[in-house]
This record gives sequence, C-alpha cells and structure tokens, in this order.
Amino acid sequence: MDALVIRADGFGKRYGKRQAVSDVSLAVRKGELFGLIGPDGAGKSSLMKAVAGVLRYDSGTLEVFGTDMARDAAAESVKARIGLMPQGLGQNLYGDLSVEENVDFFAKLRLVPDAQARARKEKLLGVTRLADFRARPMKQLSGGMKQKLGLVCTLIHAPELIVLDEPTTGVDPVSRRDFWQILAELVAEQGLSALVSTAYMDEASRFARMALMHEGRVLAQGQPHEILALRAGSVVSCVPQEQVRARAALAANYAQVEALGPCLRVFVPGLAREAAESAVARLVDAAGSATAYDSGEAELEDVFVALLAGSLAPTDAGEAAAVPAAPGKASPAIEAISLARRFGDFVAVSDVSFTVREGEIFGLLGANGAGKTTAIKMLTGILPPSSGGGRIAGVDIARVKSRIGYMSQAFSLYLDLTVSENIRLYAGLYGLSRAERAARLDWVLEMAGLQTLADTLAAELPMGQRQRLALGCALVHRPRVLFLDEPTSGVDPVGRRAFWDVLFKLSRVDGVALLVTTHYMSEAEHCDHLALMFAGRIVADATPQAMKVALEHDLGALYEISGEKALAFAPVLAAAGLGGVSVHGRSLHVLCRDGARLAALASEHGGVRVRARVLTMEDVFVERVRALEKEAGR
Amino acid sequence: MKMQRVQALAWKEWREIVRDRLFFALAFVVPALLMVLFGYGLSFDVENVPFALIDHDRTAQSRDYGYRFIGSRYFDFKGYAANEADAYDLIAGGEVRAVLVIPPGFGRDLAQGRPAQVQTLIDGTFPNRALTIRGYVGAINAERSLDSAANYLAARSGLPYADVRARLQPVTLEVRYLFNEAVLSIWSLAPKLIMLILMISPPFLTALGVVREKENGSIFNIYASDISRGEFLLGKLAPYVAISCVNSLLLWLMAVGLYRVPFKGDFAFFALASVVYVACTTGVGLVVSVLVRTQIAAMIVTMVITLIPAVLYSGLIIPVTSLSDAASFVAHAMPAMYYADIVVGCFLKGAGVAELWRPLLVLALYACALFAAGYALFSKRPAS
Repeated sequence: MDALVIRADGFGKRYGKRQAVSDVSLAVRKGELFGLIGPDGAGKSSLMKAVAGVLRYDSGTLEVFGTDMARDAAAESVKARIGLMPQGLGQNLYGDLSVEENVDFFAKLRLVPDAQARARKEKLLGVTRLADFRARPMKQLSGGMKQKLGLVCTLIHAPELIVLDEPTTGVDPVSRRDFWQILAELVAEQGLSALVSTAYMDEASRFARMALMHEGRVLAQGQPHEILALRAGSVVSCVPQEQVRARAALAANYAQVEALGPCLRVFVPGLAREAAESAVARLVDAAGSATAYDSGEAELEDVFVALLAGSLAPTDAGEAAAVPAAPGKASPAIEAISLARRFGDFVAVSDVSFTVREGEIFGLLGANGAGKTTAIKMLTGILPPSSGGGRIAGVDIARVKSRIGYMSQAFSLYLDLTVSENIRLYAGLYGLSRAERAARLDWVLEMAGLQTLADTLAAELPMGQRQRLALGCALVHRPRVLFLDEPTSGVDPVGRRAFWDVLFKLSRVDGVALLVTTHYMSEAEHCDHLALMFAGRIVADATPQAMKVALEHDLGALYEISGEKALAFAPVLAAAGLGGVSVHGRSLHVLCRDGARLAALASEHGGVRVRARVLTMEDVFVERVRALEKEAGR
Repeated sequence: MKMQRVQALAWKEWREIVRDRLFFALAFVVPALLMVLFGYGLSFDVENVPFALIDHDRTAQSRDYGYRFIGSRYFDFKGYAANEADAYDLIAGGEVRAVLVIPPGFGRDLAQGRPAQVQTLIDGTFPNRALTIRGYVGAINAERSLDSAANYLAARSGLPYADVRARLQPVTLEVRYLFNEAVLSIWSLAPKLIMLILMISPPFLTALGVVREKENGSIFNIYASDISRGEFLLGKLAPYVAISCVNSLLLWLMAVGLYRVPFKGDFAFFALASVVYVACTTGVGLVVSVLVRTQIAAMIVTMVITLIPAVLYSGLIIPVTSLSDAASFVAHAMPAMYYADIVVGCFLKGAGVAELWRPLLVLALYACALFAAGYALFSKRPAS
C-alpha cells in the first residue's frame, strides 16, 4: 500500500454553534489526485484549510505527512512541504503586481534559492502559457489565467502536497479543461499529491479517488467505479410524445426523472441497461409512446443524488397550475432582432437575433465576456440597445418591465426578512392588489415547497430553498416570460434537480417562456434550444442534440480509454496524429472520427479498453469555442 | 529570522501601496491635506469680530465711545443699525456677531456725572467665542470709563491729566506671553495637528493593509507558508512605519514653512520621538487588524479609538489639566497626550530630552505593549 499523505479520522470543525464538518475520515495516498466534491457549505474548505495547517479544528485526528496537526507548532513544521491555493478567483494573488512579481514574491516567501526559483518559474510559466504575459498586472488577467497563475505560485517551492480549494469555480469551461489538463500533467510529472475540491459534479472524472461531501459529512469515497457501484443502475433516456404525462408516470416509480429538452432521463437503480430500458418503456408506453430510446451507465451525479435521497427526499414542487396555460404554444414570447450594443469602441453585442417561443426553455451560453449579460439587460429593458430591438410577448422591449420576471445570480432576496415577507415585498413592488397578494403568496409557498417555512428568515434557508424562493418572487406577478441569470450557482445537485423540475412545469404546463444563462454545461442539457455566444455574436443556434450531432460530424465521436496502461497510451495517440487527448483521473478522453483505427491502435498497445462515450454539451462548448478562438487568432 | 522573507514582504507591500492609487493617496496625500484643512479651518483666534452700532444718542460723547470699538483690531465695524429689531436680524443672519446699543441721553448723563448704560448684544451660539467677545467689550469699556473719570477729575482738581490717569489705575498689568509670544493659536495648533494626524493615518493604513489581505484571502499565503509571525509582522509593518516617518517629516516642514511656527527645540530628539510615536500608532492599527475581519470594521474601529481620544483627550482643544478626573485618566491612558507634550515642548518651549524623556519612555513602552499584543493575537492558524 502507498504511503499516506493525509489521514483524517473523525475530523470535526464547528464555527460557533454551527457544525461545519463532522466525523470525516479519509486517506489520501502519495502521488494521488484526490477530489473533494460537494456543493457550497459541504465543509470542503474547512477540511482543506485544516490540512494546510491554516485552521484549528475541534475534534478527531488529522495527520499530514504523518504529523499530527493538533498543535500549532506541529502544523508549522509541515508547511514547507505544502502549497495552498485558497478559494476565490485569483483573490489570494496581488492584483497590482505583475505576473512575474507575483511568482517572485511567492518564491522569496518560500526561501527558494534564486537559481532554482528562476528555472522553476520559467518552466511553470511555460507549461501554463503565461510566459507572454509576465509583465501584465495580475488584475488584468482573465479568470482562467488567474487560476493558472495561482497554481504556478502554489508550486514554486516544489511542495509535495498541494491543496487547491475550488480552483475551477467561476472559470469558463474552456479554461477549466485547460486547468485540469495542466494540473494532471504536473501531478504526474512531479509525483505530487493533490487534494482538490470542486462543486461541479461533472469534474469528478478528473480524480483518481474522491470523497463526496454533503453538509459536513462524507457520503462516499473511493475510486469513481467504487462510488458508482454503491448505487448500481442504468440511465435510460427517451423522447416521449406526451412529455408531461410520461414524466408523471415515471416519477411515480423512480425518484430521479429529469426532463432534458424534449427528452426524459431516468435513473433506474439495480437494473442492467436492457432490463432498465424495457422497464421504462412499459411505463412510458402506458402514457403515450416514445422514440429514440437510449441507455447507459449511471453517472456520479445520479449516484450522489441517490445517496442523498435517504436523508433528503427530493422535493416535489407540486403542479404549477396557477398561471393560466398558454393558448397557442407556437407564438413567440421573446424576439431579439439584430440587437447590438457598443460601449465606446468596444462592441459588447453585435447583431444578435433569436426567438424564444411560449413554453420553451432557451439557454444562452458563452464564456465570461461573451455578451450574455449585456443581451439580457437589453431584453429586460435595463439597458437601451445601440441598434436593433426586440419584443417580449409582442411588446417592444423599451416598455416591458411589468411583463417579465427576472431572477439574478445573487437571488436578490432580503436575507433579514422571512420567506413570506420577501414574497409580500415583491408582490407590493409589482403593485398587486391585496386579494391577489394573498393568492400569490400561497401559490409561491406551494410552488417552492416552503409552506412550513413561511416564517423562517431567508438567511436560514439552505441554498436550494433560497433559490426556489427567489424564483417564486420573480414569478409573483404572473409574468409570461422569465429571465434566469446563472440561477443554480452554489446549489447542491438535489436542489438543482428540484429547481429544474419547477422550471419544467412552468414551461410545459403554464406555457411560460424561459431564457436561462448558465455556466454549468450539464444544465444546458435541460434546455430545448441553445444559442452559443462568442465575442458578442451568436455563433450557433440549435437544439442541444443538433449541436452534438454537428460536432460528431466535424470532429468525430468521443471515446474513453481506460485500463492500467491508459495514461501511457497518450503519446501513442499523439504520434498517430490523434490530438485533443485529455486526462480524466486514470483514463483518457479523445475525439476521433475513425473508431476502427483507434481500436486497432489500442489492441496493438495492449492493457487498455476503448469505449464510446456520449458527447456532453461541455464537449460541444469547449471544442466550438477553441475553434473560434483559433480562428480569431488568439 | 530570515531577512530575505522580511525584505520580500516589505517590497511587495511597498509596490502595492505605490500602485494602488487610492492607497497611495491615503498614504501620502491625505496627511498633508488634513494638515492644510485643519490648520486653516480650526483657528481659535477671535479677531476682527464683525459688529454694528446703534447710536440713539448721536452726541460727541457717543461717537467717541463708538470709535473706541471701531478703531480696535479686535473688531470689524460693519456700520450703524437703525434700531434693535435690525440688530437682531443682523446677528441672526450672521452678518455681525455683536451689536452695541448706546441709549439716548448717554452724553448728557456722562456730562452730569450720572452712570450711563450701554447694552451689548452678542451672538451666543458659540459660547467660547461669545465669552471672548464679552471680554474685549469689557476691556474697551473699562478703558473708556477710566479715561472719562480721569478727564473729570483732572478738570476738577487741576492736576495734570496724566497724573490723574495714573492714580486712577495705580497697578497696570504688563503681560508677556511665554513660548507663544503673539498668542497665535496656530503656533500651538500646528504641532498638535502633527500629533493628531500621526494618530489617525498610520493606524488607518496599517489596519486597512492587513485586513485587506484577510478580506481577499491573500493572508492564506502567509498562513500556509513557513514564514514566522515575527517575520511577517516586521515585513508587513515596516513600509507603513517608514511611510509615516516620511509623513512626520512632511508635516514638520508644513508646520514650519506653511504656518511659520518657530521650532525651538532639538530636532534629533523630535525625530526620535516621532519614530517612536509612529511605531506606537502603527501598533494600534496592528491590534485593530488582528481583531476585525473586514475593512469597513477596521475603519470604524480605528476611527473610534484614535480620532476621538486624539481630539478630546490629548490637549488639542482643552488642556489636559482642565479635564475632569475621569477624562484626565483617559487622556493619560492614551499615547496621544504624551506626544502632544513632546511636540509642543520641542516646537515652542525649546525643550529636549532632559525635559521630555518621561513621555518618550511612556510612548516606547506603549509601542512595545501594542506590538507584543499584536504578536500574541496574530495566529497563523485561526479558529475560524
């Protein structure tokens, strides 16, 4: 067995009365990339800070490099061997110092001899492709570059263990993949051990081993396949003719049913793929027929939700029937017509046109600075367009405010007010009559599943419930169109699914048009239609399925290469001219048009398995944006 | 103690201060600006008091009485008012601060040896100023009364006027003000402003500088590295102490150059005392910074614990010896008073180490205590 770098046993940490972490036991081996996965408030940061020796803890034992961290002096003695990158996008770096000055400062702080520091700095800046930006002040870097610089600064003293707290939060998908790639290379090359946390479930595949955390506890830990085995099962998807009825039929039998655009996706525990598919088909056929059946293995998020289900039943949000259903589904609810906005010489949005129909969930995707927020601001009437225009439910965007609901990233709730006070406040702001106010209060409480919590302070609600309350407040005046700006940041998977259930009903049952921006690519899958923005323009406008098909047509299908020799296979692929390989934990992902050739190469190499994988929206986003960036000459 | 780390930290801090425009202004512009604003704005001198006259008598006697005031450097004559109602409006409107009302029959009464009464209306909204004006009026009035009596007696007795005048005031008071010969309030104020500004600026800079790191998380770079607490505090605080030393020199130059305050003492001693004082007030900032989490909190706490004592309990406005027992105790517990003694002594009294070693010692002990407290309270592994 490998030597242990971190060993926690019954670890606990409380802040005042709040128990942030309780009874956590885990072990990280030497040379391993270990992940802590969980939503905000799961206790990841507290555990990581304690490991780095920058936070006292209350109970249990914690050993790092075999040193008991209970005493300050002991913690101090191992700090030279640890590198910590705290949470927050480049927050721990010095904004007014240049890239190079930042690195130099960390090197001096860690007493790295000059010659060594210089050599390491050049190498790390090279690997992270920051060498060309060495004179640029840190505050002028993009989010992804800040995180890479943070990594360089963390590695400059050649630590044996690095602790990275949510290094990819708030970073766009392209930069995120880049970051993981670099991290994987460095960890492998330097024999580092790494403890890394993330709130993105879909990043779990990056880790060799991981612990799933929720509300201060570890739900499961081990290798990905070990965790998947805890709730073995299959995932079945299909496109039913009557989505609402089919969903109700499935939900009566299975806890995890998701609507993804026109599809339904069901997690069927305990059954293999074929058996699961026929079980689902029986239920769906009873509620009208369905096409395009597909099945696959469960993903980590399914298992995570299933593990949580014991303690936390997914809230059924109830039928959202109070908003009158739309008469004709085909009429356009949001129309953007050649919208453009310039700030001085800078073109933030240029010639953006799209249509969102009633009852449709429309996703607006794009990296930071692509123009999403500017576009939404123009459509909601907050910002006048430089040229072009638009209509919301047939009304010009200059006069629409009473017809739309808007839910911002920050949830814009008053945390010192109770749940019902928040709802009443919004009802008052929108000028609802007294009778109407009472009716809408009841409706929102029911929709958000907050009936028993009406007199609780908003500050005391967990993120998931807070988010549904914010949604309710945005809906209190029965808008026909709802804008959601990154609505699910920081919410756990169970809460996120409950939230999407509510959105599904809003669109399908009540015919509300939804425009969503999100940086969770897994959420883009929920949308009926997507527009991808790049540098102020819309560069793709299609259904998620069509976008995947187009990518597969252009670049090939996605294959996963696993097995004990998988990592050694990467140079073989590169030699064969099959680029675009990315490392995921102990396996590789590669886009390839010639599956047969890949299989031949694999059998030649030996010790690896090749398996086709379903393309995700993140694959689409990353590949499209990379191609556009190359085209733009960046 | 590894000097390389201390140096790296101090250098980083220095560059951040210089490149952050707001911080740079806070460090180098604000202290000088405060010196100008306070120096010109906070004058306790009462001169050129605007006043008006109501002369109901209109005799040679009344005019002569009025000219005593019109000719005084303490009063600025704004004109005659017609009646008391106008006088009230003038004072209420702030155009004059005092009005003299000479009643009808003033000249006749004086000529007949009957006592005459003059009414003075004074704006009482600022009690100190009102009392000072009342003092001026009283002094001029007494002078006039004596002259008048001397005239009468000289005429009746046939003695020369000068003899009679001298006999009427057998003891004259000859006042010589020491240390501030012209009793200019700026002479006393400017040195104390140095005390005030060096009480406010270094703690602000220090507290903001440290708490800023806590707020944005870069303090974790320190927590997570093997730098010792002493190295960190030394490297982090050295730039702030240095900046404040430069500021104390700048403020000294302003006091001497701009406000023309004479510097009579030992400059070397003054410089030494200023370094100790600045270290002491930087220590205040350090202690604040380890106790609070946000920059807002740091600003409010620093404001309360530095500005108020430095203004009220340091002898800036009210001499410490005139304070109540409780207030005097507060004053003695704060470093500001000791440095106020030192600056006033150095500037105006020409005092040096022989007279002022005691307050210097107190400041030095204070600085040591604050740094010890900061060192003890600063943890590289906090509980939250």
